Amino acid sequence: MKNRASVVVIGGGVVGNSIAYNLAKRGVEDVVLVERSFLASGATGRCGAGVRQQWGTRQNCLLARESMKVFENFKDTLNVNVDIELKQKGYLLLAYSNNELEQFKKNIKVQNSLGIPSKLVTPQEAKYIVPDLNTDKLIGGAFCPTDGHANPFKVTYGYSKAAENLGVEINKFTEVNEIKTEKGKIIGVQTNKGFIETSKVVDAAGGWSQQIAKMVNAELPVYSERHEILVTEPIKPVLDPMLMSFSYNIYCQQTPDGSFIMGYGPDNEPPSFDMHSSWQFLETMSKKAVWLLPPLNKLRIIRQWAGLYNMSPDKQPIVSKIKEVENFYVACGFSGHGFMIAPAIGVLMADIITESDLTYNVVLDIERYKRGEIISEPSVV
Amino acid sequence: MNNIEKAELIVVGGGPAGLSAALAAADYGVNVILVEEREFLGGQLVKQTHRFFGSEKEYAGTRGIDISKFLVEKIKENENIKILTSSRVLGIYNDKIVTILANNKMIKYSPKALILATGASEKFLAFENNDLPGVFGAGAVQTLMNLYGVLPSKKILMVGSGNIGLIVSYQLLQAGVKVACIIEAAPRIGGYSVHASKLARMGVPILTSHTIKKAVGKDKVEGAIICQLDSSWREIKDTEQFIKCDAICLSVGLSPLTDLLKQANVKTSYVPELGGYIPLRDENMETSIKNLFVAGDVSGIEEATSAIIEGQIAGLNVAKRIKKDIDNQVKIEKKIAEAKDELELLRAGPVGEKVRNGLKKIGLDPLKNYGEKVSTEEFDISFLMKTGIPSKENLKKKLPLSEDVFNKGPIAISECFQQFPCDPCVKSCPFDAISENGSINNIPYVNFEKCTGCGICVSKCPGLAMFVVQKNYTDSTSLVTLPYEFLPKPVKNQIVLVLNREGTEICEGTVKRVRDGKIQDKTTVVTIEIPKEYFLEARNIKVDGGQKHG
Repeated sequence: MKNRASVVVIGGGVVGNSIAYNLAKRGVEDVVLVERSFLASGATGRCGAGVRQQWGTRQNCLLARESMKVFENFKDTLNVNVDIELKQKGYLLLAYSNNELEQFKKNIKVQNSLGIPSKLVTPQEAKYIVPDLNTDKLIGGAFCPTDGHANPFKVTYGYSKAAENLGVEINKFTEVNEIKTEKGKIIGVQTNKGFIETSKVVDAAGGWSQQIAKMVNAELPVYSERHEILVTEPIKPVLDPMLMSFSYNIYCQQTPDGSFIMGYGPDNEPPSFDMHSSWQFLETMSKKAVWLLPPLNKLRIIRQWAGLYNMSPDKQPIVSKIKEVENFYVACGFSGHGFMIAPAIGVLMADIITESDLTYNVVLDIERYKRGEIISEPSVV
Repeated sequence: MNNIEKAELIVVGGGPAGLSAALAAADYGVNVILVEEREFLGGQLVKQTHRFFGSEKEYAGTRGIDISKFLVEKIKENENIKILTSSRVLGIYNDKIVTILANNKMIKYSPKALILATGASEKFLAFENNDLPGVFGAGAVQTLMNLYGVLPSKKILMVGSGNIGLIVSYQLLQAGVKVACIIEAAPRIGGYSVHASKLARMGVPILTSHTIKKAVGKDKVEGAIICQLDSSWREIKDTEQFIKCDAICLSVGLSPLTDLLKQANVKTSYVPELGGYIPLRDENMETSIKNLFVAGDVSGIEEATSAIIEGQIAGLNVAKRIKKDIDNQVKIEKKIAEAKDELELLRAGPVGEKVRNGLKKIGLDPLKNYGEKVSTEEFDISFLMKTGIPSKENLKKKLPLSEDVFNKGPIAISECFQQFPCDPCVKSCPFDAISENGSINNIPYVNFEKCTGCGICVSKCPGLAMFVVQKNYTDSTSLVTLPYEFLPKPVKNQIVLVLNREGTEICEGTVKRVRDGKIQDKTTVVTIEIPKEYFLEARNIKVDGGQKHG
């Protein structure tokens, strides 16, 4: 392991790897990434593997659209031979109330203004897209045909390979114990594998980003929350798009290998670092899923697991430097949608660290909360 | 949603460890739910047609299938035990709720204690073409043959010479399958010598320091290429040879089935001596999670006898915790101490060394009380452990010192040279003529003064290592009485071919007596008349139309 680095990126999820890659691409040398477990071992590898552009805020739409461009041209953009299993069969968002439908209409306006090809659908059209869908109580929906699925492990691996090709050192099973500062300036990172002298640190530690920030006495306005998920046995393809309902708080998709991945947003889940699965999830999830797609009742569940959403006050990410310590950067608070916007986040963070103009016209700095410039994202499960 | 049933103890796994754990706890009034994934209880015991080693107290000398029947009967009679077969434990959650899939429904229990006795799975081996149809695990072969009555092949190559490899080879022969040879990568046979000797005298070659390089065949196994290994386990050049066979059977060890333990977040450690990842546990079989116990192979690969005792220890400890009245406490304490003693004794011999080393690695003292009694190998059995054939020196030590002894009449000869825990010969002798000098791990010796040559021990020895010889039957002939476990059984006055310890035909013999009663329990005791010069050589017979040799 190198004992000196220009930048140390903490966190080997998709965000950390995207940042490391984008830094190296800008010509930043001696970038070192440290990950305490294996790559994508946290939220990235535990997520629902969906990539969607149908967001409610302009900037989330923008980040997702720009990221989708990378997913669509992954091999050429990153110059790596990694198949990320992109499946663009759409996201079908379901509306069960007029309020929901109205929100979709507003969202679609924003999306269309950015060139995202989403549209409103009737229950009949929804049934046409997903023949097995239970349209009971359904009053409409939104559909974007270019949304879909990508493999989070493959994407992370692709970014780490591309980063390594550009000289980034990736250190797995390397845990950060301490970030050493002197007079408010970072002087290095102490890991269980040794000390790395550096003046710049990026905190991309996902569910544990607030703990990493505590090492430099910074309080991040984020907390972590357990979300559960399960996967079934694979069957022949029957479900094209990702299905999503905000009022039933559920998402479900069939991955290219044929298995169904599904999850729902928990009620009253307390802030914690708990990643244990629960039997309650199995019961509730299977009832919800079978109600939505009745043929699923024959499917066997292969595995269940949980991961951490790192929640920010406005459910939008924080990609920012912080006031407390010079050259300490955070990419956190992804609130459950870090994977699908990670390509754009890497670009933004590279802009910030290299003190360039922001590539995208977005406001994700941490000071926005103090300024009151908060636009809460309405479309999160 | 919250229809959670209360329970005192859930035992997961209906094999020897689980059965004995359920019984031990239920005997003290603990309400037990015994969950078994398959449609029947008994675990691996249901296919073990051979007699068990170990202590008579723990069913030594009895066949696995009969131990299973006996335990299952007791389980079914016990009204404190509720049996859930065809039921799979899905998870053990943080709130201590156990979910079980039974009759296509997920049911939930909230038990006070859990004993996981989930057993082990077979290890596989990497070699070219190992995915060809005809490559089996030894356990699968045993299931096919002994449970379903299906022959796996006509001629088989056995890879691995541990007890499972040796026992399954023997059972293959019993079923009429030829065994081309048994290969073993180590320079020494892995299983007990008596098992190897049974195969050697049937003419099955055991090749130590040999491994498989590839399976040969287009759509299925048609043969295998094997080669010799040097002392550093490297292939020796130009030693490749082709073995013709239509199946390859892998018997290369077991891995504890710890999935459920890991899901429950029990602390584990990698201990190769015990088969891989095993749960950390104390001497009462309790894991890093309070009230979660383990027993049997899941806690480290051993054999059925120790699994049964571990099950008892775990079951008794749960009973002690749940049934708190003083009277029971004293009784249970005493039983736990006895079971621990017995387990230590089982592991105290030279063959227990690997297990002892493994247990030390997880901080246990496997020889608390028997430390001073650990014996090293009494004989030099290096030749025996290479070939399955005892050396002349080995044999000499078990024969009478004076030739005169043979003149007194029939006497038993024990051809047991390796120290492992076993005592049915000692316990079965009605004349108290066989002794192990106080330890089950010692080699048994026949007291020729006391021995009458009655032949009871011949069918009792699980290793088929007891014989009776009567040197001076006539002026020119002797009688040899030996165990025989093949079909068809010989009949009186039939002429049979007689083989020596290497499986070579040495002469013909005449069957004088066939004992095949209840006491022999399918190990037929055959007495043959043979030319006198062969009375110390004749150790096997070939009956016309019967056993197929290697």
